Amino acid sequence: MWQDFFGRGLVSTSADFGTRGEPPTHPELLDWLANELIEQDWSMKSMHERIVTSATYCQSSTVRPELSAHDPSNKLLASQSSLRFTAEAVRDCTLAVSGLLVDKIGGQSVVPRQPEGEDMEKFGNDQWTESEGEDRYRRAFYTSTRRTAPFPQLETFDAPTARDTCTRRERSNTPLQALTLLNDPVFFEAAQALAKRILREHHGNLDQRIEYGFRICTSRLPAASEKKSLRASYQRLHEILQQEPTSASKIVAIPNADMTSADMTSADMTSADMGAWVGLSSILLNLHEFITRD
Amino acid sequence: MSNIHDLLGIQQRRRFLRDCVGGIGTIALAQLLAEDGVAVENSSLTDPQKQKSPHYTPTAKNVIFLNMAGGPSQLDLFDNKALLQKLDGSPIPDSFVADLNDTVIKGGSVMATPRTFSRTGDCGMEFSDLLPHLSQTADELCMIRAMHTDTANHHPAQLLLNCGTQMFDHPSLGTWVNYGLGSQSRNLPRFVVLKSYSKDASLVGPSLWTSGFLSSTYRGVAFRSKGDPILHLTNPDGVSQSFQRARLDAIGELNQLRLETTHDQEIATRMASYELAYRMQMAAPELLDFSDETAETLAMYGIDNEQTRWYGTNCLLARRMIERGVRFVQLYHADWDHHLELNKLLPIDCGMTDQPAAALITDLKQRGLLDETLVVWGGEFGRTPMIEVRRASNLEVAGRDHHPFGFTMLMAGGGVKGGHIVGETDELGYHGVKDRVHIHDLHATILHCLGLDHERLTYRHKGRDFRLTDVRGNVVTKVLA
Repeated sequence: MWQDFFGRGLVSTSADFGTRGEPPTHPELLDWLANELIEQDWSMKSMHERIVTSATYCQSSTVRPELSAHDPSNKLLASQSSLRFTAEAVRDCTLAVSGLLVDKIGGQSVVPRQPEGEDMEKFGNDQWTESEGEDRYRRAFYTSTRRTAPFPQLETFDAPTARDTCTRRERSNTPLQALTLLNDPVFFEAAQALAKRILREHHGNLDQRIEYGFRICTSRLPAASEKKSLRASYQRLHEILQQEPTSASKIVAIPNADMTSADMTSADMTSADMGAWVGLSSILLNLHEFITRD
Repeated sequence: MSNIHDLLGIQQRRRFLRDCVGGIGTIALAQLLAEDGVAVENSSLTDPQKQKSPHYTPTAKNVIFLNMAGGPSQLDLFDNKALLQKLDGSPIPDSFVADLNDTVIKGGSVMATPRTFSRTGDCGMEFSDLLPHLSQTADELCMIRAMHTDTANHHPAQLLLNCGTQMFDHPSLGTWVNYGLGSQSRNLPRFVVLKSYSKDASLVGPSLWTSGFLSSTYRGVAFRSKGDPILHLTNPDGVSQSFQRARLDAIGELNQLRLETTHDQEIATRMASYELAYRMQMAAPELLDFSDETAETLAMYGIDNEQTRWYGTNCLLARRMIERGVRFVQLYHADWDHHLELNKLLPIDCGMTDQPAAALITDLKQRGLLDETLVVWGGEFGRTPMIEVRRASNLEVAGRDHHPFGFTMLMAGGGVKGGHIVGETDELGYHGVKDRVHIHDLHATILHCLGLDHERLTYRHKGRDFRLTDVRGNVVTKVLA
């Protein structure tokens, strides 16, 4: 539990609590937490609440050199750790922010969009038939699991393979992840939806809309330098699309026939305007900050 | 770019080691931090094993592993046994199968081979008529005739061949190699997997190129046969190169601003990952574009011929990849699992792979790359001298079952002695009887060629120092030049 909230357990060797593993960094705390769990009637939810409302949890993760010098791996928890989201959270947060996430609980597993040929090695004959309608946008938790042909986005972001027990997930940082966030159709569709959401929910000027979009993605307001950067990026993207009108119309095209909401163009926005917003939204969804719990 | 690459190297190592369980990770981190000028209290720690550099001078820098999944029949390809022909149709003598204790593989009638064998090269190495091209490279090859393995089931045997253990989720050979040596590639993944099939087969999958408990940055990246070679390499529809570059610049700029505020070095790694992704996008088309190859080369690999095009493309790609710094390329061809219709199906798989495999060796030699490139050819086990009992009911559809006790693999290049045979099987090709080589020995030898001591290339996990060869394996010095 502690490992999930801080990136490293009170006993760091979560695969080995035995004599060859690491001793606890805070043995008294561990004892206290164990007792607390019992006293809270074994309620995981209560424990989670205890931990996340603690002063330790609420610390900033901004790196302070004087602390790193003494405790490079932050064993003593003098600050919080920045942790990349789990594979499932990457998908879920992207869909949530873009307004696409379907909240439904329960029901059958779903088969999100997957490129052709990904399941060539799967054992057995059942086909990977892509789900339709709202089943496209459910939480990653509901994704159908095949051991012999793991779902690529989840594998890329270090979801366990179901072939072996996993006591601690890695938090890798790879170009394949970059390619997924930039180019995976599911994530690009989310960028389109996010653009629409920003423009639908906020009717201010460019700067105000930029601020709004940034805030819903990062839960903070952008600094002046960040706003300036985003404004310049918007203008750059807009310029490119004005020179490439076919690109613009493709970027704003509806990705699938299920989408019945208002289409991507409207009377007062050109494809270049809209396309630049899609680009900007995809930038926000690709920020390191967006997939990181600070 | 070199700064970002160095930064990527340092930051990835740092992050990787910080996330390690205690032991070696902590020690190495202390060293790294010391290198970076950060004071460490416990400077008496020393790391007995330096990663990212070989233990001794290597003879090979790269590996191309031609994995023939399913178990190619050595008796029909490499191991010519007069007794096999003589005993055709007779029950296999008890003396051979006395230790056969498998639930499904049973002794039965011996099955002769219809193939004809001939000797080629200065060394007089024997090949069947199904490998006319590969036989011409005999002088480069070391033929290991007494391979043996621990299991006669596909997946455990492939896990053993690829990961050194029958258990899931231990690092694969390519992962260990990159863990030990790093990669020179700036634009491509360091461990690439290419696949080809003569028919649908589920013999091969990500469990064979997993990074296991080592960092997933070392994982094999499977190039796909359909669509993008690497998933999501192509921009979404409408996103031009300029638009993509603009996105990347914007993401980089904002990440940089955030880095300056939080000092989270992970952001620097992420920025480097994005740059590498872009370079992969740029590099892949060039890699895949064969227009800079001569017509002779393309013909040699059989690219112009439908039968050999798939495997030929993969072999040519393998050469191009190692030229561009990819450390380890694994080609899987499936399947060689000829339980039935051996005499009809084996020629098909040979037909698809013989010419390209030979072309690869010849091409590497001609370009002066063979000396530094270790090529391995083989599958997870061989096939039985006796006829398949499980499924074959009549001789016309006969085949051979799985056979772990004696089979053949080939090695070439990278410090291997060419034109040379190591080991022998008995008169029926059943057991290896001389210079037996276990999969662990093969692994020890491969690592040795790369300059790595298989006993020192370890990683502490779950309280013990794991290694590719587990607690076994000896370098087969007879294979080495």
